[in-house]
Amino acid sequence: MTDDPDPPDPSGDDDWYGDSDPRVPDASAWPDRDLDFLDDDAYLGDRPELAAELAAERAAERQYSADRPESNPATELRELERRLAQQRTPVFPIDLRRRLPLEGVWRRWRALAMWGRSDVVDDFGRDPRATARWEWLFEFLYSHWFRVETTGLEHIPDRGRALLVANHAGSLPYDSAMVMHAVRRDHPARRDVRPLVEDTVFHLPFLGPVMNRIGGVRADPENAERLLAKDELVAVFPEGEKGMGKLWKDRYRLQRFGRGGFVKLALRTGAPIIPVAVVGAEEAAPMLGKVTWFARNIGIPWIPVTPTFPWLGLAGLLPLPSKWYVAFGPPIDLGKAHGPAAAEDRLLVNKLADQIRTRIQEMIEELLRKRRSPVLAAFLG
Amino acid sequence: MASSSPGRVVAVTGACTYLGGELLRRLEEDRKVARVLALDVRPPVLAAGGKTEFVKIDLTQPTIDSELATLLERHAIDTFVHGAFLSHPTHASEWAHELEDVGTMHVLNACAGVEPRRFVMISTTLVYGAHPKNPNFLTEDADLRGHRDSRFVNDKVRAERQVQRFAKEHPRVEVAVLRFAPILGPTVSNMYTRFLSRLIAPVMMGHDPLMQFVHEQDAAFALQRAVESRATGAFNIVGKGVLPYTTVLAMLGRVPLPMPQLIARQLTKVLWTTQLVGSPPSFLDFLLYLCVADGARARRELGFSPRLSIKRTILDFLGVAPEDGATDIAGAHA
Repeated sequence: MTDDPDPPDPSGDDDWYGDSDPRVPDASAWPDRDLDFLDDDAYLGDRPELAAELAAERAAERQYSADRPESNPATELRELERRLAQQRTPVFPIDLRRRLPLEGVWRRWRALAMWGRSDVVDDFGRDPRATARWEWLFEFLYSHWFRVETTGLEHIPDRGRALLVANHAGSLPYDSAMVMHAVRRDHPARRDVRPLVEDTVFHLPFLGPVMNRIGGVRADPENAERLLAKDELVAVFPEGEKGMGKLWKDRYRLQRFGRGGFVKLALRTGAPIIPVAVVGAEEAAPMLGKVTWFARNIGIPWIPVTPTFPWLGLAGLLPLPSKWYVAFGPPIDLGKAHGPAAAEDRLLVNKLADQIRTRIQEMIEELLRKRRSPVLAAFLG
Repeated sequence: MASSSPGRVVAVTGACTYLGGELLRRLEEDRKVARVLALDVRPPVLAAGGKTEFVKIDLTQPTIDSELATLLERHAIDTFVHGAFLSHPTHASEWAHELEDVGTMHVLNACAGVEPRRFVMISTTLVYGAHPKNPNFLTEDADLRGHRDSRFVNDKVRAERQVQRFAKEHPRVEVAVLRFAPILGPTVSNMYTRFLSRLIAPVMMGHDPLMQFVHEQDAAFALQRAVESRATGAFNIVGKGVLPYTTVLAMLGRVPLPMPQLIARQLTKVLWTTQLVGSPPSFLDFLLYLCVADGARARRELGFSPRLSIKRTILDFLGVAPEDGATDIAGAHA
């Protein structure tokens, strides 16, 4: 790994040495250094009114210390005390480093441990380096495995907030990954989509943290509002768990759209809704049945039974190479049509949610008609 | 004798805690403060200056409230800072309950009669608890759900509820509650610094929640601001930015020990019972789920924004300068 020196931060926000903080004196040469040359007059130039102000302040200062002869230059003492205490309470490996020639080993270990992760993540846990690390996999899935054909990317704005609403299928959220990758790959602004992930998937061991590092956020109205307020592109799958748990016989039949939370969100934040239809995900992991027995014990709602899983073990979780189509529809601006107050109108919210559901269902039918024959074409395209 | 001198008179319980000691030092330098009463069971290291007076107060004693009330009246206290809380879990849970929950009751009983102008309480963001349903950023309005099986957290929740009730019943008193994120730094000692000082750190296999810290100097500054300002209500005092738990361990050069939940809980239970580790098994939930708070309100109303990012906080805790090549920061500004 590289040992990059820390680039200086001109804003002074990350002030490591406390140079710009008046409360932290530079104690490196303390107490030998003569501080007399730091006369404030040197900075005043030709501004007499400031000099008068300064003189008054100094008089007050002198008066203060004259009143209290026992007082010390306390800031410097505090800094010194802090540093002394720091010497007294060493953290274990630091202590070790002083005594044993382990510094090189320890440094290598830390560099190794930091491999593939960056030491700065965004507020919701997206790690730019981890994202780059998984990029090849998404690219492979997108162009070679699923051979995704994307249309309507021009409906996504270059800047500003928008809410992508998509249908959901498959036992693992490949569809959200493909929507994310499509926008990042082919949209002119290369925007990052933040998919909202259901609780059950988000708290899955291993998968959950990876989803979080590459941009997934736990589906929660507060999180979504915060993201949209930051003008991000948020993708929601209102079918949620029900969409993922669809059986093969129900494929491409949209489930109930939650409780219309996404409509409330769009109304409150004024974000336009962009309907998204994903076709192909159902065939990638056709669920023939689901076993609920024992599943709850290991923290998942059901164990899917697909043509490959669990027969082939973990390899059975790999998706079948179906041909995918992703279509982005023209934006629907609910906020402009109804205003934020409409979010409290439950009847209206439910009606709007159903309208959008119908719209996505139409888009899916359209895409399905593109395919030549029902099953075989799902794989050949 | 006291009322004749101008300036504020501040009483601080828990003067021997890190925040209490820092506050004493800062008040000593503050010209607007005339005198400071340091209340604790043992004398704190007093900064030179002579404003501060130590009074031995043991909040676990049953009739300490009347003693405290006379003290407050005699010294004409106008600001009371209540910081007598434990910074790490203890096996003496009965005593901890007496100190934190009942001790807060004594303090509030004393303050109810005297009605100081301002009451500041030191709390932690742990009172929100680590729950799978937590949003990424908990605001001050979130429920104080505490934590099942954790007396360490729940005593603080109960203390906070009492203070909230006190604020409702005594509208003349400005009540501010500061909920500090885990404080990290080279000199502070608390549950998190002890936990992260060990060479080997447990990791819940396959889980990696985001963590949040605040630098000790930032925390002390926030407390000073809270004493100075007139803002009321609860404030989350948090550092800049978040980092995944395993990244924190990697930056610190600790050896992560991934364990399945069941084994981790049993093992921690055994180690906690035999007093070999400093954190009870219930703390493992904080390695499973998010407990990150939003500091926007403190920035808006208290005028406090943290100076150091989480990365600098961790490096300062470790005692390495960034040039050390400890971490590579190429992706930092991406």
